[in-house]
Amino acid sequence: MNTKQIEEFLYSEADYLDNCDLVNWMNLYTDDGTYWMPVRADQTDPLGEASILYENRTLMAIRSNNFGHRLSPSMELPVRSSHIISHVRVLESDQATGDCTVRSNFQAVVYYRDQTLYAGSYTHQLKRVGNSYKIKQKRVDLINCDASHRSLLIYI
Amino acid sequence: MSYSNDELARLVEPTRVHKSVYTDPQIFELEMERIWHKSWVYVGHASQVKNPGDYITTTIANEPIVLVRDKNNNVHVLYNRCGHKGAVVATKPCGKGSVFRCPYHGWTYKLDGQLQATPHKIGYENTGFDPSDPQFSMRPVECFENYHGFIFACLSTGGPDFKTFMQDTLATIDNVIDRAPDGEVEVAGACLPYMHDCNWKMFVENLNDAVHPMVAHASVGKAAAKTLEQMPEGSPYPMEAEIIFPFGSAYELFDKMMVTVMPNGHSYMGGKASIHSQYSDIPGYMQALVDVHGKQKAKAVLSQNRHNTTVYPSFTIKDAVQVVRVVRPIAVDKTLIQSWHFRLKGAPDELLHRTITYSRLINSPASMVGPDDWDVYARMQQGLHSDSVEWVDMHRYMGADTDVQGHQGMKTAPGTSDLSVRNQYQAWLQYMCEEGRA
Repeated sequence: MNTKQIEEFLYSEADYLDNCDLVNWMNLYTDDGTYWMPVRADQTDPLGEASILYENRTLMAIRSNNFGHRLSPSMELPVRSSHIISHVRVLESDQATGDCTVRSNFQAVVYYRDQTLYAGSYTHQLKRVGNSYKIKQKRVDLINCDASHRSLLIYI
Repeated sequence: MSYSNDELARLVEPTRVHKSVYTDPQIFELEMERIWHKSWVYVGHASQVKNPGDYITTTIANEPIVLVRDKNNNVHVLYNRCGHKGAVVATKPCGKGSVFRCPYHGWTYKLDGQLQATPHKIGYENTGFDPSDPQFSMRPVECFENYHGFIFACLSTGGPDFKTFMQDTLATIDNVIDRAPDGEVEVAGACLPYMHDCNWKMFVENLNDAVHPMVAHASVGKAAAKTLEQMPEGSPYPMEAEIIFPFGSAYELFDKMMVTVMPNGHSYMGGKASIHSQYSDIPGYMQALVDVHGKQKAKAVLSQNRHNTTVYPSFTIKDAVQVVRVVRPIAVDKTLIQSWHFRLKGAPDELLHRTITYSRLINSPASMVGPDDWDVYARMQQGLHSDSVEWVDMHRYMGADTDVQGHQGMKTAPGTSDLSVRNQYQAWLQYMCEEGRA
């Protein structure tokens, strides 16, 4: 297990988001990979309860085709983000496969109409593929997950 | 200055409304007093307070409100305000307790709102303080109604009773109940709250606005179509596409859906067909319905399809999707929208999963539909401050309304008509200019 390599992987994922490169970003996910942002702390069920986001590869693809679309009123203004990830720790790992679950803390400043600070923790379920990883699930627990948010136009 | 009734009446004309109804904070204050204190406003669902001691907190017209179930299983709607110094007593969105206790001076209240105890009573002796005076309770809201678990309250007395107020919108709630094989629904999970930078009426008017989806929501339909093209041949048709595509339907389809209005500002689109009526079957669901209703009624229940039944001013429900959205006005240019999701008891889990997927795709602040609505509302809120033009238009299909046979006061028109907006402003005028109600 190479924590440094995992950190590099998380940084590169955040880089894709900060560059609004959703195509390369979603290619970091396994075919059955999901991105999950619960609306409730301690939420365990993404199917039978609402979430802010719970997206499979199909939805990621629709979102990447919709991002910046000239016919979308909300996409007329730019979306810019800057992520900081720290305190990366491995919660679980499988020595045989190299798969692991990684928790990290993040702060993401997003500029869209106004500048907004999102903060919380990431839980990545990573699958070892070749010399790198693919994301089986990225769970984003905002510290204000249940707050009344304004529009959120890009993954955090 | 405040508005006289004559001045208020001049703000609404048959085919246009004055921009100040969206921008003037004084109008907003009057609306809170004359519409939101006098209509039946949605509070919450009884399934959110299942057991004695359970409570949820919310607001009606910025009044802090708590919905609670007492030890005898009776539900109460209380003003969430301490009778002593006025502090809000319960602040969590939901909780459980045997009494309410104000954390400032420790006054406690029974679950029906009655004052139970004040600490260090000696100080009140011989002062004339009467603990049984309702002023010192958490005052109950007198008018509230529990309709199949959907709880609405009216902060004033002397207005129309609940059923008279609700009109034919009750048929939509009835249909949701009939769609549950066990005849009951319950709230599933937490709500999705979404803060909007607009006047509350812009959201309500948009509910039955059928000339915006093919424009404001055009991109997501095209993005979904492109995604389907990019998928490998033989890929299963995704449920997400089934939900997204109807938002791009043509004007003609929406016209055919028709819009129906009734007194008090309420309305709905569709009836038999809506943008939700082409969803695929959920295995086992039809059989579960046939088992309780018989084949004929089960089919009739599923054939009712009303898109966004709007109970003016606070509530909208989709019978075919089991999503409720609640309007909580905060300020003249700030409105909280809460989406709530309902499980049909006795139905397969997959039905709830579709409800949840629908709301995430359409109502979530991070969806690809809601933010486009958010954006156009915010643009209107901004643009209406311009002094260049005073009025907002509502001409579409003016004069094309027809009466609905057998339903007094109900009218219908092609779906892209402004009829629902004109109807809302008739109710608005009635509320705003009415005098003499408590």
